[in-house]
Amino acid sequence: MASPQTIIETEALSKFYGRQRALDGVTLKVNRGAIGLLGPNGAGKTTLMKCLLQLQPISKGSARLLGREVGREGREIRKRVGYGPEQNCHIPGMAGCEYVTYCAQLSGLPFQAARQRAHEMLDFVGMGQERYRKIETYSTGLKQRAKLAQAIVHDPELVFLDEPTNGLDPKGQAQVLELVQSLWKTYGITVVLSSHMLQDVERVCEQIIIIARGRVLVHDTLENLKARKRGAAEVVLGGGHHELQEACQRRQWPCELLSNGHLKVEHHAESLNPLLNVLRELKLAPLEIIPSPNALEEAFVQALEISHAAA
Amino acid sequence: MPLHDIHYQHWEGVHAGIWVRRWVIAKNGLGACLQNKVLRTLVVLCWAAGLGMVAALFVVSQLLVPDSMVVKWVEQLNPALQMFAGLLTTWLQAHPEISVRTTQNVFFFYGCTLLTPCGIFALGVAMPLLITRDLASSAIVIYSSKAVTRWDYLLGKFCTAFGLLTLMWLGPLCAAWFLGNLLAPDWMFFWHARAALGNLLIYGLSSMCILSVLALGVSAVSSKEKSTPFLWFVWWVLGGFIQPIAANTKPWLRHLSFSYNLEQIRLATFRLGNDVKTAQDNIPILGNMLNGIPKRTMETLNNPGVWGAVAALLLMLAGAALVIRKRVRPE
Repeated sequence: MASPQTIIETEALSKFYGRQRALDGVTLKVNRGAIGLLGPNGAGKTTLMKCLLQLQPISKGSARLLGREVGREGREIRKRVGYGPEQNCHIPGMAGCEYVTYCAQLSGLPFQAARQRAHEMLDFVGMGQERYRKIETYSTGLKQRAKLAQAIVHDPELVFLDEPTNGLDPKGQAQVLELVQSLWKTYGITVVLSSHMLQDVERVCEQIIIIARGRVLVHDTLENLKARKRGAAEVVLGGGHHELQEACQRRQWPCELLSNGHLKVEHHAESLNPLLNVLRELKLAPLEIIPSPNALEEAFVQALEISHAAA
Repeated sequence: MPLHDIHYQHWEGVHAGIWVRRWVIAKNGLGACLQNKVLRTLVVLCWAAGLGMVAALFVVSQLLVPDSMVVKWVEQLNPALQMFAGLLTTWLQAHPEISVRTTQNVFFFYGCTLLTPCGIFALGVAMPLLITRDLASSAIVIYSSKAVTRWDYLLGKFCTAFGLLTLMWLGPLCAAWFLGNLLAPDWMFFWHARAALGNLLIYGLSSMCILSVLALGVSAVSSKEKSTPFLWFVWWVLGGFIQPIAANTKPWLRHLSFSYNLEQIRLATFRLGNDVKTAQDNIPILGNMLNGIPKRTMETLNNPGVWGAVAALLLMLAGAALVIRKRVRPE
């Protein structure tokens, strides 16, 4: 696992498009890990990534990536950084494996190594014989996989992925998220995942950055965000829902049966112990207890409300 | 089965330098161009023309050898041609330094005149493959996110256009110069033909650079694959039409045509007027024939409008640079 050193550092970073302010004095210090960049559409997530990658010039402020100054050492930085853009950005006329090989060469890999790694990465993202077909003929899912492969083909230390599950079916989404998750957890590659899908980010990321109207509203670990919202849990039971609901009512704990069959219990305690005691008394063995469900969603909505109120 | 059951391997090799990455862009572009059938055919035709020039140079050089097959063959021709060949042979033998220089200068001037339009046509065909397609598919974002800058990308694309022109134009002509002189009866041909090669390189390299930048500019104008070749060909053809009309009305309008401007540079580089004068002075029969050249043509040969052409081309290059600067961006 990589050391927890700062990988992204920005100081009053601003970006203007004419009069419009896309980023407004963003100051961040982000450690290695799996980082979720959350925000509604038009919040400035993509702009922040593009500024860090020097795809857009910074209007004001400064940024450092992997300890290097963005703007001065862009080429060196991008040698060690991968980017999977949101839109389709293939190079026309190329087959999938040619495209990924070419991208590896552009990142500085010699041809032989580039070709070998391209095939390895295409295997890694689960692409089969389709790799020999022209990219223009790919489905959305295949294009997303090719984008992922090109983003990691040069073995970067940091990968920015902009909405990597867009246009994928649930199975494809799950596969891609599993892959993204493994990049940090298994291979130590820092991932910045930009998405407006909270459940995607919650599943993959340990650190959360919530951004809206070009400002960073929240930057914390997912664990801390959940801790802020302690006092509620989702209980998955095989049976005995009614007994638990009654027990909760006796203790004046709001309890709600959700559409997925889970029971949401607001026990108002720092830890799960009171809830566990109740379950023990009732001799109910829960299949799963999800502490602080929707904590991220609540933090997200709360942050947005504060942002709207301030505006 | 989870996707990442196939394990990710870290890579610990040494990165290639920036020039290698630029070369990769150029090579990839050139490869894409050569997948086009029209361009492949054009390349073959240009090399065939180059081989034709080698044959012609061989024939001329053989006139220096008194009992060569070529001389014997010429002797069997009609008396006028026989006399002309005899005079040429005498001149070649008497002043090889002047005759070789002059004949090869004229040869390569016409070689350039023939192959310049081929190059312009080829660039028109290759136009979508330069920048247009990358704009259409947002590939610029991918390039910009890799370890290359916008300038590296543009340099690579410039080399693609330049490489294509080299393959179709400077390559065959330089090969013709080398082989033509290699097959000549004397090594001194190489030495005497150095000025022709110099002119060829000066004109070839400068005009190829100019055309490559102009082509990149036009290629960046639009992201529609049909628009940019159309624009290029319209500019070229319209310039050709304007040229004779404007000559009698507003001569400066001729500078709107890049091919006219290149022609002026070609005339200034090869200084064909000097060659005509040399030929007139040395071969009386040729002198009489060349006296028939219209005065206006001789004026053009002696005093091409090179400064106007240079100024116009500089303006065109500035325009192309502006278009590229504005259009070739990640967003």
